[in-house]
Amino acid sequence: MNVMTLPRLIDLEDKTFDPFVVEKLATGDAEDPYPLIHELQAKGSVHKGGYRELFTDLPDTLHALNQYMVFNYDTLLRVLTDAETFGNRDAFMHTLGRSFGRTVSVMDAPEHTRFRKIFQQAFLPQTVAKWGASVVDPVVTDLMSGFIGRGEADLVEEFTHHYPFQVIYRQLQLDREQAPIFHKLAIAQILTSLDLPQGFEAAAKLGVFFQALLDQRRAEPGDDLISHLATVEADGERLPDEVLISFLRQLMNAGGDTTYRGTSALLTGLLMNPDQLEAVRADRSLVPQAIDEALRWEGPVLTTIRYVRREVELDGVLLPEGAILNMILGSANRDPTKFKDPDRFDIFRDRTVRHLGFASGPHVCIGQHLARVEMTRAVNALLDRLPNLRLDPSKPPPKLLGHKLRVPDHIYVKFDA
Amino acid sequence: MKRWMCMNCGWTYDETLGDPAGGIAPGTPWEQIPDTWKCPDCGSPKSEFDMVEI
Ligand code: HEM
Ligand SMILES: [Zn+2]
Repeated sequence: MNVMTLPRLIDLEDKTFDPFVVEKLATGDAEDPYPLIHELQAKGSVHKGGYRELFTDLPDTLHALNQYMVFNYDTLLRVLTDAETFGNRDAFMHTLGRSFGRTVSVMDAPEHTRFRKIFQQAFLPQTVAKWGASVVDPVVTDLMSGFIGRGEADLVEEFTHHYPFQVIYRQLQLDREQAPIFHKLAIAQILTSLDLPQGFEAAAKLGVFFQALLDQRRAEPGDDLISHLATVEADGERLPDEVLISFLRQLMNAGGDTTYRGTSALLTGLLMNPDQLEAVRADRSLVPQAIDEALRWEGPVLTTIRYVRREVELDGVLLPEGAILNMILGSANRDPTKFKDPDRFDIFRDRTVRHLGFASGPHVCIGQHLARVEMTRAVNALLDRLPNLRLDPSKPPPKLLGHKLRVPDHIYVKFDA
Repeated sequence: MKRWMCMNCGWTYDETLGDPAGGIAPGTPWEQIPDTWKCPDCGSPKSEFDMVEI
């Protein structure tokens, strides 16, 4: 396909506005939210109040609502799997819905069930497995060529912060020079949750771009993801453009921001535990369990939300209709009654209890199979091509920051060039 | 290799592993799983599964 025919993206009006700085404000700089999480967990599963308010005074769009927090594994699982009582739409319309529009996260059954299946079909394991060699590997190789001969690197700045986004650009067949604007708009649109005008501006500009992209792929369909989504039919109907565009808006954040952070957490866990790094290097069949342990230990989606659709009692607390539940997935993943020594990164731990890093129930992550392919390819490439990979002892060790969407700013490493 | 896969989330049933948390012992053939059983990842019913080449 001729990239010259692609629609152009338009940058934010205010060129001085840096969404990456503001995003840091939104996710906070908490060094470690888990001691407080454990403290509250020990006092009971359901608490009144909003999770964000535990860490920052900067209000978001949930601030004025009647909020509760859920901390224990079993209770979280119960809520996530009972979508009749605990809905998505009326919770996410205050957050993601403002940025993305009518996307799957903001839907309840039966609408959700119908659209979800069509989108999931494009991300089933057998489909995304093919993207490993065709899409992920070239991105990984290209990024690594920037530092492979140097003997040292910052794996966040030079690698993890780019590769899942570049995987998406390749799917969109986005022109290289447009990528920085695209990344910026995708981050900026989330800031509707802080009521910033740039959030709405970015969402609108991405909407115009995606509409043009869909029109173009329908005119000359290829075998790419967008052509597939633009033309796929279910029950004899095409996906409405509004739903498709909203999904594409969500893709950068749902697929990029998460995988970037998940991969950074995985590398942090392994590099900080050289014995485990060595074990994985020697036996790559351990990679899947290392990924799962990283997503349990420091799952990037530390919290999500649900809406109470009818008055209900949850672990002895009466929840009124209309309450917003902060679902602390990161707390479930460190519930000491489910995971022994839960704060420890241990790829060899017993895996009978499933972690909730991808959540559970009807809204469980659509992209989990893609995320696993991406993380597997990334880790294998780093271990294969960077001999003697280790933390750089002359630099500060990686430190995950934030009360949600946690990520280290840097992972400084050395290796034999 | 062919496996039963949940079309709503992509979870695959591996007969050798079963689904112990969902009450299905390792080694249980697909046909013997009761219709009341649900996908451990997303909660879809057994009827949402298709046989897929992976
Ligand atoms: C390590 C990487 C990832 C993590 C930790 C992650 C985590 C999650 C979680 C926890 C949810 C459920 C949220 C809720 O129920 O409220 C979710 C949903 C979702 N994820 Fe992911 N995700 C990752 C990668 C991806 C990728 C690569 C994609 C790209 C397709 C993606 C697309 C989605 C979508 C579209 C949903 C909404 C599903 C629905 O509401 O039915 N995710 N993800
Ligand atoms: Zn399923």
